[in-house]
Amino acid sequence: MLRYTLLFFICCATLLAHAQNTEGVALYSRKTDYAKLLTKLTYLSQEQKDRYANTWKNDEDWSEKMKLVFTPTASLYSFASESGESPDGKYTWRNKDLFFYREYDKEQVVDVEEMLGKTYVVEDTLRLPKWKIGNQVREILGHMCLVATTFDPVKQHNIKAWFAQDIPVPAGPEKYAGLPGLILELDVDEGIIILEATNVSFKPVAADLKVPKTKKAKKVDEKGYAALIKNHIAEQMKEQQNPYWTIRY
Amino acid sequence: MKHRLLQLFFWCFLSGSALAQTAPSRFALQATVTDTLGAKLNGATVMLQTVTDSTLTNYGRSAETGAFVLKGIKRGSYILKITYVGMMPLTKNVSFEQEATVDLGTIKLKPIAKELYEVVVRTARAPLTIRGDTVEYDTRAFKVPPGSSVEDLLRKLPGVIVDREGNIRAQGQEVKKVLVDGKQFFSDDPKTATKNLQAEAISKVQVFSDKTEKAKLTGVDDGTKEKTMNLELKEEFKKGGFGKITGGAGPASNLSARAEVRGNYNKFNKTQQFSVIGLANNTNQTGLSWADYQDFRGSNSFNWNDNADFGFGGGFMYFGGGDEESLTIPISGGDRGNGLSDNQAAGVNYNFDTKKTKISSSYYFSQTKLRSETQSEENNFFPTGTLNTRSASNQINRNSTHRISFRIEKELDSLNKIVFVNNSRFATANALLFSNRDIRRILSATSTPTTSNTTNNNSTSQSFGTNNSIIYRMNFKKKGRSFAASIGYQLNANDATLNINAENRFYEALDLNDQFRLIRQRQATNSNVAQYKASLQYVEPLSKKVFWESFYNFNLRNDAVDRDVLDTRTDQLLRVDTLSRYYTNNYTYNRLGTGFRYTNKGLNIGVGGAVQRFTLNGQYAFDQTLPVRQTIDRVFTTFIPNVSLNFDMKNNKFMYGGYNLRVQIPSSRDLQPLVDNSNPLFISRGNPDLLPALTHGVNLGFQYFNPGSFTNYYGGVSYGSITNQIVYAQTIDPRTLVRTSVPVNVSGGNNFSFYSNVSFPLKKTKATLDLGGNINAGRTLTPINGELNQTNTTNYNINTRLSLTPADWFTFYGNAEIGIGNAKYSISTAEDAQTISNNYSADANVKLPGGIFVSSTFNYLLYRNQRFGFERNLPIWNAAVYRLVGKAKKMEVRLSAFDLLNRNVNVSQYAGPTAVFNSSTRTLARYFMFSMTYNMRGVKASIRKGGWDD
Repeated sequence: MLRYTLLFFICCATLLAHAQNTEGVALYSRKTDYAKLLTKLTYLSQEQKDRYANTWKNDEDWSEKMKLVFTPTASLYSFASESGESPDGKYTWRNKDLFFYREYDKEQVVDVEEMLGKTYVVEDTLRLPKWKIGNQVREILGHMCLVATTFDPVKQHNIKAWFAQDIPVPAGPEKYAGLPGLILELDVDEGIIILEATNVSFKPVAADLKVPKTKKAKKVDEKGYAALIKNHIAEQMKEQQNPYWTIRY
Repeated sequence: MKHRLLQLFFWCFLSGSALAQTAPSRFALQATVTDTLGAKLNGATVMLQTVTDSTLTNYGRSAETGAFVLKGIKRGSYILKITYVGMMPLTKNVSFEQEATVDLGTIKLKPIAKELYEVVVRTARAPLTIRGDTVEYDTRAFKVPPGSSVEDLLRKLPGVIVDREGNIRAQGQEVKKVLVDGKQFFSDDPKTATKNLQAEAISKVQVFSDKTEKAKLTGVDDGTKEKTMNLELKEEFKKGGFGKITGGAGPASNLSARAEVRGNYNKFNKTQQFSVIGLANNTNQTGLSWADYQDFRGSNSFNWNDNADFGFGGGFMYFGGGDEESLTIPISGGDRGNGLSDNQAAGVNYNFDTKKTKISSSYYFSQTKLRSETQSEENNFFPTGTLNTRSASNQINRNSTHRISFRIEKELDSLNKIVFVNNSRFATANALLFSNRDIRRILSATSTPTTSNTTNNNSTSQSFGTNNSIIYRMNFKKKGRSFAASIGYQLNANDATLNINAENRFYEALDLNDQFRLIRQRQATNSNVAQYKASLQYVEPLSKKVFWESFYNFNLRNDAVDRDVLDTRTDQLLRVDTLSRYYTNNYTYNRLGTGFRYTNKGLNIGVGGAVQRFTLNGQYAFDQTLPVRQTIDRVFTTFIPNVSLNFDMKNNKFMYGGYNLRVQIPSSRDLQPLVDNSNPLFISRGNPDLLPALTHGVNLGFQYFNPGSFTNYYGGVSYGSITNQIVYAQTIDPRTLVRTSVPVNVSGGNNFSFYSNVSFPLKKTKATLDLGGNINAGRTLTPINGELNQTNTTNYNINTRLSLTPADWFTFYGNAEIGIGNAKYSISTAEDAQTISNNYSADANVKLPGGIFVSSTFNYLLYRNQRFGFERNLPIWNAAVYRLVGKAKKMEVRLSAFDLLNRNVNVSQYAGPTAVFNSSTRTLARYFMFSMTYNMRGVKASIRKGGWDD
């Protein structure tokens, strides 16, 4: 049912397009709180978790720059650039291949993700999460945002999103979308990952909405991808190793 | 035009559903959204949520006419939510039962009060909850210092003003009532609650308009409302404590009973941490484990960026072979020390951490009594033949050390930061040594010793060391531009007395007087080494990919040493001029360097160079009262190149490498013009003429990791060529066989190493195999009796580990490590030696029913040197059985047995540049221990190994 209203909404949004800002690029900073992440590792004792939290509490969270290109009907989420860099810019490293492409009108998903030593391509139909809307409001980058929550059944994460009511596009960062406005902040699993929009600029971007071709990619569907992730988490926990060094939290 | 189209669009939908049926399964909702004045609101967000769990089912937006329509709604009750920028969100219950289309007519949204919107929503970037008239602040978003009152907290809330008297105004109106958890707090005066309650105890602050008390009493709502504030109390604010204590005792073979106790406690809240730690044992556990250390030091366990010497890493001078004990808390890991030791330690630590200010301080006391009974054998090569020395020694070392540390890091503003670090140590030590030595000539006709010695020494010392540095770092608005400056002061003061009592017999001496020599001396040495340091660094980004970095380091070191040696054979206490010394040395180092760094998509390259100048001015004399002193003046200038590379490639491949020149400054002991005769048969002397050793090094390494198959590989090579290597030249007195060692500079030495390691699963999560190996080869040139001996050493090491983790109740780890050392000597090929050190181990862990765990480790150590006919085979077997007690699993009871076969001994052997050596020292052998642990956080029993802090 949500799908129909979404379609309708897209129609409206398209009609309103020239009056409103519905096309552009949002930049996000993606921060990982490792001390909190470690509390999710089942093989660590409470003592080890406390030790880690106390030892590293002054360390800055790990931060990455992400980019979301959106139109009313599609979006592409990726790293903001090919390489990550230290805060002073003096050191760079390679960013893994990561492209999450969604077509909201055609209900299509194309995800390219380098993980577990391979590059995977997920092509499937779009399945949107079931959102719950809360009562909190908050301003992010001058946009009045409302809160929505959902649950990721594969990774078992609580998700909290803040969406802008004045940017009527269903797009959002990572794999979260389907709200009445652009998601400007995403909180994955009670603050372990915080994605915060740092800049939203409106401009025609339809030409940038292309998934780059990847060689030697392994194709899976949504179900296969979920199984891969679940299996990896279970195996690594058994090996007493942190699964999230090698997959996205 | 658009207006009409949209209307048409809506009508199509509406008529479509209106024509359908009388009992529809899908419903539609329509209404028009306006503000309180009737102006149509275009683009209001309209959402329909289920009543049960607020799940979003339908949503849309109002058109320019303010009208909206939601279609395809299932039967049931919903919450309609309409939001619009600048308006209060509106919620309304709607049911869909009969009519196919529910028309709510006109819905009016109230504007958010200007104060609330502009001040509250705009400035507070933190979330606010708005429910009807109520605005709710989450206090987690508004930080106040610990101990603050609610009033201080309210001052931080946007839209709330607290005046000097404590009167509160919220959204422009005076707050007449303050409730706590919905109830009045003691008195009518709102200030009672806000002044007396702690901010830390409050989780939420709600502001709303309530009917006046009068209206409530009379039941007549006169329409007047007053601002009310409700303070919601926290269930519990974040704080905690954890700690553990372990105690155990048991019998030992051939030794008195063994016992150990260890405990720590840790109390913390968000900004503060206080911890205590203590240990006492006679089971050779000299220091803390990493886990204990982290629990003790908390957020101050590791501090990056405290290095005050800027510039190429590792390129700046470093001092080799320091004898000083570390200024920081010693960590022994799981290592059991040599000999037999009794240990006690205790410490307290306090940390205070906020975003702007971080303070840490600690005090740690430790003392150790170490007994060593050692037997050793050494072959020394000389052009004239080889000497064999056999010795037996009995030593007791006692030392106690107080360590304090203090660190403060202050963020002056977002671009400027200053750090001060102090680490200090005060130690007292004393030692008793009794030893016997016999020296023989190998291949001589007689097998009787030619020289023998009996020594009975004792010594006491007091030392103080401190290291202080201030580091200032400044960043600029321009990304990548930075400036840093540091100053440092170090002091090492040592006051030691050594009493030597040695009897030496020289059986080959022709003169009767020379056949027996008695040495009785008191050697008092007072040394002071002070260092002053300063460093500057500036980084300028030339482009996004290229950075230019320049630095300057200054270091001035003043040594002042006064040594008085008295002959105590008679009561006259005559001064021994040949051994007494007074000297001062001033070393100055200056280094100026610059370099470029290129970084792009994971490829990082640095290229640079520095000029380093080293000046030594010293003077020395037999005694400080003497006016005539000998002087040393040396200047040494070097150019130091530096190249570094690392490259991050696809699929977890990583490559790194570099070229650098390392400068090793001689240690103070090597530079001191002093004679050490504490072992009268082996005299060592310092050399004030020593120059820094320079190593030109290249290295290259590669890493690969496949998380899908759990396979990883790493390997690399490095090569170093050494100029002015510091080696110990040996001379021997042909008649007395007394050896003298002096450090000298010799060029031509080199070293090479290769390492490689691969790890892969035989069966995922069940069995893993590790295979590794390394080769270390080197050439050292050492003058022996004036002749240059070239020693070529080649060491091979191969190791493999099999980890079997088939079930939750059983694990097995098998290890094999084979080490082969070869040494070839140019002046004495007959002495070419091979040492073999192998270690095989098997480790099994079982979890039995009833929560009982059993673990057993068997180690087989094999040491061999055929030249000596030396062979030691040590089977060491440890086992333990333990059980967690209680439901909460906070307690553990354990019975352990160490070295069940009673064979443990410390063995060391090597084949070095001028000698082949082996020794055996008595250490803790078989003992049993019954121990109990209480851990507030719960004891973890894991049969798997390899945890990062186990």
